[in-house]
Amino acid sequence: MNAMGFAWRSLVRQPARASLGVLGVAAVGALLFDMLLLSQGLVISMRDLLERTGFDLRVTATDALPGQGPLIPNAVERTQAISQLPSVRSAVALRFANAVVLAGAPRGVYTTFQGVAGTGAAHPWTILRGRDVTAGRPEIVINENTATRTRLDAGSRVMLRASCNGQEQALPPVRFTVSGIAQFPFDSPNGTTVATSLQMLATACGGNETNEADVIMVASQERAGPAAAVSDVAKLLPDLHVLSNAEAVNRFERGGFTYFRQISTVLTAVTLSFAVLLITVLLTVSINQRLGEIAALRALGFSRWRVVADVFCESVLIVGGGGLLSLPVGALLAIGLDHILKRIPGIPADVHFFVFQPSALQVHLLLLSATAIVAALYPIRIVARLPIAATLRDEVVG
Amino acid sequence: MWVRCILALTGAALIASATVHADDTLPPVLISRQLSEGEHLSVGDVIRLSASDNGSNVRQFRIAGIYEPTPDPARLGAVIREVQLHLPDLLGLTREPSAPSGSEYVQTINVALVDPNDADAFSRDVRARMPGIDAQPASGAAESTGPFIVLRRFHLAIAIVTIVASTVFLLALSIMLVDERRAAVGVLRLIGLPIRRILLQLFLEGLLIAVVGSVFGLALSLLSEGIINRFFQWRYDTTLVFVRVTPQVAAVCVAIAIPLGVSATVVASWALLRRNGLRLARR
Amino acid sequence: MSNTNGYIVEARNISRVFPMPAGAVTAVADVSLEIRPGDHIAIRGPSGCGKSTLLHMLGCVEAPTAGTLLFRGDDVTQLSDRQRSLLRLRQIGFVFQRFFLLPMLTAAENIELPQSEANVPKTERRERTQELLEYVGLAARAAHRPSELSGGEMQRVAIARALANKPGLLLADEPTGELDRATGEQIASLLDRVNADGTALVIVTHDPALAERSTRILSMRDGRIEGESTSA
Repeated sequence: MNAMGFAWRSLVRQPARASLGVLGVAAVGALLFDMLLLSQGLVISMRDLLERTGFDLRVTATDALPGQGPLIPNAVERTQAISQLPSVRSAVALRFANAVVLAGAPRGVYTTFQGVAGTGAAHPWTILRGRDVTAGRPEIVINENTATRTRLDAGSRVMLRASCNGQEQALPPVRFTVSGIAQFPFDSPNGTTVATSLQMLATACGGNETNEADVIMVASQERAGPAAAVSDVAKLLPDLHVLSNAEAVNRFERGGFTYFRQISTVLTAVTLSFAVLLITVLLTVSINQRLGEIAALRALGFSRWRVVADVFCESVLIVGGGGLLSLPVGALLAIGLDHILKRIPGIPADVHFFVFQPSALQVHLLLLSATAIVAALYPIRIVARLPIAATLRDEVVG
Repeated sequence: MWVRCILALTGAALIASATVHADDTLPPVLISRQLSEGEHLSVGDVIRLSASDNGSNVRQFRIAGIYEPTPDPARLGAVIREVQLHLPDLLGLTREPSAPSGSEYVQTINVALVDPNDADAFSRDVRARMPGIDAQPASGAAESTGPFIVLRRFHLAIAIVTIVASTVFLLALSIMLVDERRAAVGVLRLIGLPIRRILLQLFLEGLLIAVVGSVFGLALSLLSEGIINRFFQWRYDTTLVFVRVTPQVAAVCVAIAIPLGVSATVVASWALLRRNGLRLARR
Repeated sequence: MSNTNGYIVEARNISRVFPMPAGAVTAVADVSLEIRPGDHIAIRGPSGCGKSTLLHMLGCVEAPTAGTLLFRGDDVTQLSDRQRSLLRLRQIGFVFQRFFLLPMLTAAENIELPQSEANVPKTERRERTQELLEYVGLAARAAHRPSELSGGEMQRVAIARALANKPGLLLADEPTGELDRATGEQIASLLDRVNADGTALVIVTHDPALAERSTRILSMRDGRIEGESTSA
């Protein structure tokens, strides 16, 4: 009977404690797996979302993130100039504001308000029903949440009061026609969004700032790539700040996202320590209850390395069994935790905190293997240094 | 405060003057420690500020002091580059040239009450007297902030998983420890002690272990509280407190740990005591 | 391997001293003895006289702190732990007072275990196990676990296990200590048979009746051999 078979029989002889040990490792392993998914999940998800929008550069007035800094003046002309660069496929200027849609509730429905301008460029939303807005016409597209709450649909007419530049203002409401229902990539699950052309947004904002934008979004030519586009735009407009998707993700990572990486690191460390401590105790107590048997096996001729291998294999079986079980448990737990965290205000609906990556699975297996080894060290030391004769004597006396 | 943010983020417009000697006629400002360290500024330096991205409408100010910004969890990881001005100076700096004086506004007025317990009543009074103005107690504002409620739920979910894992292990350990005494328990049964009597003894032992374990756990959590806070405060250059073991938290932990510990011992013992005494006593 | 005198074990002035906080304890002092093939030796003496310690040294479980101990001519103290383990596995069998059967294995599996460790092929293992079970009269209990066996049956399985790799020397430490008289008599008879079949046997006991079945009886007191007698 080899060491693994022997270890299996040792565990099976006490099915209750073996099962509990495996279940405990499964619970701890599930948490560990989820923390590994969390450590990079948000960054990966945000990167995917940014790339799915079809734009890989963002041009702003300063190094502040889009919507958090000053407006870009002469945005329309600059957008046209950017779109004519050989490394650029398309460019749109985008301005953010807030608005109240005067429908659906006594005081209206509060929404974010976007205005875009760009020649021949795709708008940063997807039309679900109806059609897109036409530049220069008082038309808006709204998202599903807005449509539901305001009870509007394509073709509806509605009054909208804008609130621009982050200020509370008493601007007059403007009449718009809903041309379509759209899906916005950065919408939060309960978010309400309305979009129109840049010109119409400026009109709604009082008509004073018709040629300003918060950000110019740029799609690079596939053959050129984002790096070339960044360089070309920076040369064309040296007074503006160019941010590629990768740089934007780095900014997120260094900013608010960093909390989740740190918490995942802390919880990973705590989880591993917990697992090592408890498996060590489980094995040690189990070994201490069998010292007589082990001493007898040594007396019968089992080598030191053989009894050490038996203990190590027990650790491998407990951690291995629990580790395998931890994957489906961890997946379910991740869904639940993701559901909780996605309720953070402002998080886009398409962004996830827990994203599966093969590297996370590899690290998970590596960490569990290390746990099995480290947890077995102390009980291995006990059996390796077991004084055979003294133990046999103690068993008789005991 | 959007104006303060603009000033904070318009790093490009902040020009540190080479003038070393202070000019007391210049209006004073306070700068954040992080701005001071990042731009190598110190008290007495003269700086020029502009609220526009093209550097127009520049005004000079004298650094009167360097302050530590109030830690803001919403800005974790950000380098807080801030300048604090007297309100008239700020309004003068940010007013549109065409806007008449007196037409400026602020977003927020912070109020410190003589008696903080009057916060709710004061808020209601303000709202009633000044329509269009919203007044909220500061504590309520903190509680209603969505991200922190979500994070609290997240941490609670993690805690629940940890408790489940701990309970499983605790049960396994209890079974092993009780099993070690099976012979002694078997003998006690054989000589006539009732199950209830033996169970009571095991219960009391489990209670003692649970209490000692809880105290040890609390001590460990207080130690790790300090370590975690110091690490993250260093990592993020902040004075935010990340972990705080309040009396309520400690009470909840003890209220969970002790019954769990005792229950694990009782459950493990009960499974053992149901067996025949002779089988227990036999090796 | 050298074997100048044909002895299985040759002990020359061996001692075993245990360092204790309250002072060193000499469990065995200056003992010399030889074990020849086919010997049937009993070591008797009062509790604490060093019988088990001497047995453990003869079985290469414990090394003497002084003196020379040769197993088939080889100095045991010069062997590594691995070499001593192999020696015990292939050439020495142990029977314990507390049986020490592995509770999660059946009787047959307990007997197979040392053979498996000695890399005996499976077919040969199975045959030898069956042979030994019949030898000790437990062929019908092969699939039973120790918890399903009586004390005497467990000790018989333990003896079969000790004989698994056909050792030349069998060491038994109080083999009837936990058994009633009748069962002990059965075990004693079985051990006699083992010896009669050619295996040298050394039994530690404080049971005079068991000791009297041996051809050589060594009396120990305070770690020393007081005397040796032969039975009629």
